[in-house]
Amino acid sequence: MAIAELGGKQIEIDEDGFIQDPNAWDEEVAKSLAGTEGVAELTEDHWKVVNYLREYYLEFNMAPMIRKLCKTTGFKLKEIYDLFPSGPAKGACKVAGLPKPTGCV
Amino acid sequence: MDLITVTRKEGLAFDVRVRGHRLTCDMSEKDGGRDEGPSPAEMLAGSLGACVAMMVQRYCDNHGYTDGDVCASLTLELADNPKRIGGIVIDLELPNDFPEDRKSAVKRLAELCPIHETLKHLPKVDLEIT
Repeated sequence: MAIAELGGKQIEIDEDGFIQDPNAWDEEVAKSLAGTEGVAELTEDHWKVVNYLREYYLEFNMAPMIRKLCKTTGFKLKEIYDLFPSGPAKGACKVAGLPKPTGCV
Repeated sequence: MDLITVTRKEGLAFDVRVRGHRLTCDMSEKDGGRDEGPSPAEMLAGSLGACVAMMVQRYCDNHGYTDGDVCASLTLELADNPKRIGGIVIDLELPNDFPEDRKSAVKRLAELCPIHETLKHLPKVDLEIT
């Protein structure tokens, strides 16, 4: 595990840059993580996705299915990718401070 | 059925050939490839998307819904133990003049495309080392 400076804090990350302790996350950390995923600025739409992912994770200890993310936020799949070019799992979940999604196909 | 051959190009990249067509399949750089083409998993999802889109496009053409084209956006949900595709999410866009009251019918039609049916009724894969 490596240590990265995110949002002014020293935070442990895995080899793909996902933070290891969800409690270390805050909005400044999210902004730093967004930069690593090709998102220059977190807009209101980005926060809608990030906040939903985070709320879901904190309640259920897992990320929501992608269809549920789309339906709850009102964004089409393509719109989620427009917001997070690396996708809902590797992009949005990382920015939301969730653990790395399962597998690699 | 025409013969499909898969031959090495370089690294992890393989060429998939059929009837004179060629598609390169590779892994992303992050996964050890050179990203010369879609991964096998992405090709599988793309195959489903193309099959659904073709079937629905033909329906739209036959019924005169011509204000725009059918377009599919897909992504994969991954699963472990064993490592596999756990789910495929598809958003299907229809021509602008497609009637609202026909959307549930066309969704059922899309779910009957041959690749979708193949994923629902898994084929026997018979592999031998030759």
